[in-house]
Parts: sequence; structure tokens; C-alpha cells
Amino acid sequence: MTARTRTLLAIVAALIGLIGYAQFPLSDSPNRSIVRGAAVEYLFPEQVTVPAGKPSPVALHFRIAPGFHINSHKPKEEFLIPTAFSIPADSGVTLKNATYPDGADFTLPLDPGTKLSVYTGEFTIETRLMAERGNHLVQASLRYQACDKNACMPPKTIAVPIDVIGN
Amino acid sequence: MKRNTLVLGITLLLLAIFAWAGWANWEYRKQAAEKRLATASKAELIPDDSGNAPVYVSPLMNKPAPSFTLENLNGQRVSLASYRGKAVLLNFWATWCGPCKLETPWLVELRNQYASQGFEVLGISTEGDDLAANDKAGWTKDKGAIAAFVEQNHVPYPVLINGDSLSQPYGGLDEMPTSFFVDRNGNVVAAVLGLTSKADIESNIKKALGAGK
Repeated sequence: MTARTRTLLAIVAALIGLIGYAQFPLSDSPNRSIVRGAAVEYLFPEQVTVPAGKPSPVALHFRIAPGFHINSHKPKEEFLIPTAFSIPADSGVTLKNATYPDGADFTLPLDPGTKLSVYTGEFTIETRLMAERGNHLVQASLRYQACDKNACMPPKTIAVPIDVIGN
Repeated sequence: MKRNTLVLGITLLLLAIFAWAGWANWEYRKQAAEKRLATASKAELIPDDSGNAPVYVSPLMNKPAPSFTLENLNGQRVSLASYRGKAVLLNFWATWCGPCKLETPWLVELRNQYASQGFEVLGISTEGDDLAANDKAGWTKDKGAIAAFVEQNHVPYPVLINGDSLSQPYGGLDEMPTSFFVDRNGNVVAAVLGLTSKADIESNIKKALGAGK
């Protein structure tokens, strides 16, 4: 290999290295921050078909972000905000009943003497929906208040979009 | 030989163009990131490399605490400026916040302990986060909940309402409790998101008083 070839190869390698380096994300970018959006995500169903005019069971599945908990539907302290599901009036679908899971006991590390009633991970609300005949794009909602082991986020209401078909 | 040289030259030229474009793109993103960081008014949670809880980084650190005037539970207007010369703990809290309830007795004790040295706590409720400004019934109910909490905990320091209006200047206030320790000159010397130990709070109070450095 001649000296000229080696020089050219070195230049090529340097240029390729430069291109590669420029593609790395910036370590000091604001993107390194943790974005804390909704702590609860609606999973499914997106669409259900129920007999028109007849209350029918529909199980709604939700997931809580790792590290967070939300108050159950029946928190042990009056000041805590319960998790609650609702459907807007005149949506063509009526919420006849909602059965929430029991909360699990949870204690804050700095307050081991106080037990809270919370949901973590995935949970399911068993509802009975009654739909008018037709297709209804329902924007139901879930109100909850989430905390991690040291801090709490403000109460939040997330959309629970369900396409309810009444046959 | 001439053909080889030509091919090599074109290859080098293309690589040089790619390298220049990549470098220019990297520089652009770097400058944009620095600009965003410099102007950011939102606090950040920075992951700890050792795997511990994220570190709260407030853009207000070592800067003057943004001025404000809020109403207390009696409807009187209270401004931060009137506490100039004192060390002040701005404690953002809410009645729905369990960790806030837990730390309040500590704040009461520490406030009583250090008040004679020129220390005060301002409890700032963020109760009405999802209340409309014209929801009088909602605000009345919230005020009642705050007042009950204040009475129950024998809170001796001023408790102000509508802390949500300070969300932007105070870096988002996405989680409660959030505390800012302000020194006698009005500068933020410590910021804490979430529940911390009483010892940590006391250490930051001393820092704000100028006795804990």
C-alpha cells in the first residue's frame, strides 16, 4: 500500500467517523428530561356491540404507568380523590352501573403507619352500558389522581373513547 | 489510473459534503438545545445515572424568586416582596396530596423553631387546578377544605390560594409538594420536588437563613 493510498484511506475513515459522530443525539438536550404526562392509559375495548336498549356488561381496561398509583374508587381518607368513570349525557349511551376493583393497601415509605387504598398496574372497571340503536362514538372519561411514592400529580380526567354499537 | 483518481475524488467529495451536512446539523441542534435550556421556564426531572430517583432541577436555582401577590384564606392580598429580608419557604401543596399532609407537621415545627431567626413559610395551595375561574361553588368548597386542613394542623403561617397561577413562573409545578427555599435577598437557594425528610427540609432552611453553607 502506497503512502498516498494510506493517506486517502485515513481521510475517508475520518470523514465517515465525522458523519457518524454528527448523528449521535445531544447528551445535553432537554429531551433527557422525564416527561410525565397522563399516568393512566385506556387500553381497550375500542369498539363494543351491545343489544340496543338493554343494559349489557362491558369491561374497561386501564393501565397505570410504572411507579405510580392512583386512589381506588373508595379511598380510605375523605380528602383523597376517588377514581371515577363517567359517560356524558345525551351520548346515546347510558352508564347503568360501574363496579370498580377493590384497592390494594399501599404505604408511603416515610409514613408506614398509614395505609392507602390504591390501584397499580392494570385494572378493570366492570360497567353495564345501555345504548340506543345505532353507532355512538362515546367520549367517556376517567377522573383520577395519581402519585408516586414521594409526590402527587394534580387530578386529571382522561378521555375514554369507545365506539358503542347498539343493535 | 486517471479513472481511479476521478472515482476516488468524487467519493471524497461526496463524503465531505455528507460530513459537512452532518456537522452543520449537529451544530444547529446543539445551539437550539442550548437556547431552549437557557430560556426554559419549566423544571426538569433529570434521571440519576446511579439509578436513584430523578433529580429535580429547577430553572430558578440561584435566581430571584418570581414575585407574586396572592390572596390568603381571609381574602387579604399577600406578596412575596413583603418578606424581603427574611428566609422564606414557598411550599406548594394541595389537600388531595398525601405527601403534603405528611410533611405539614414538620413545616409547622420548623417554622416555629426558626421564626425568631427571620424564617417564614408561605403555604401556597394549588387546590383549584381543574376549577374554572367562574366556578364560585367549587372555589368556596376548596377554600373550606383548605381552611379545615389549616385548622386541623394548627398551621401558624400564611396559607395562600390559587397557586396554580404561579405554575408558569415557578417551572410547571407538575407535582406536589414542591418547595422553594428563598434566602434573605430573595434568591432561590434550594428547590425540592416531592416528599423529603424533615432533616433535609431543615438543612435547606439553614441554607436559606445563611447558616447552613
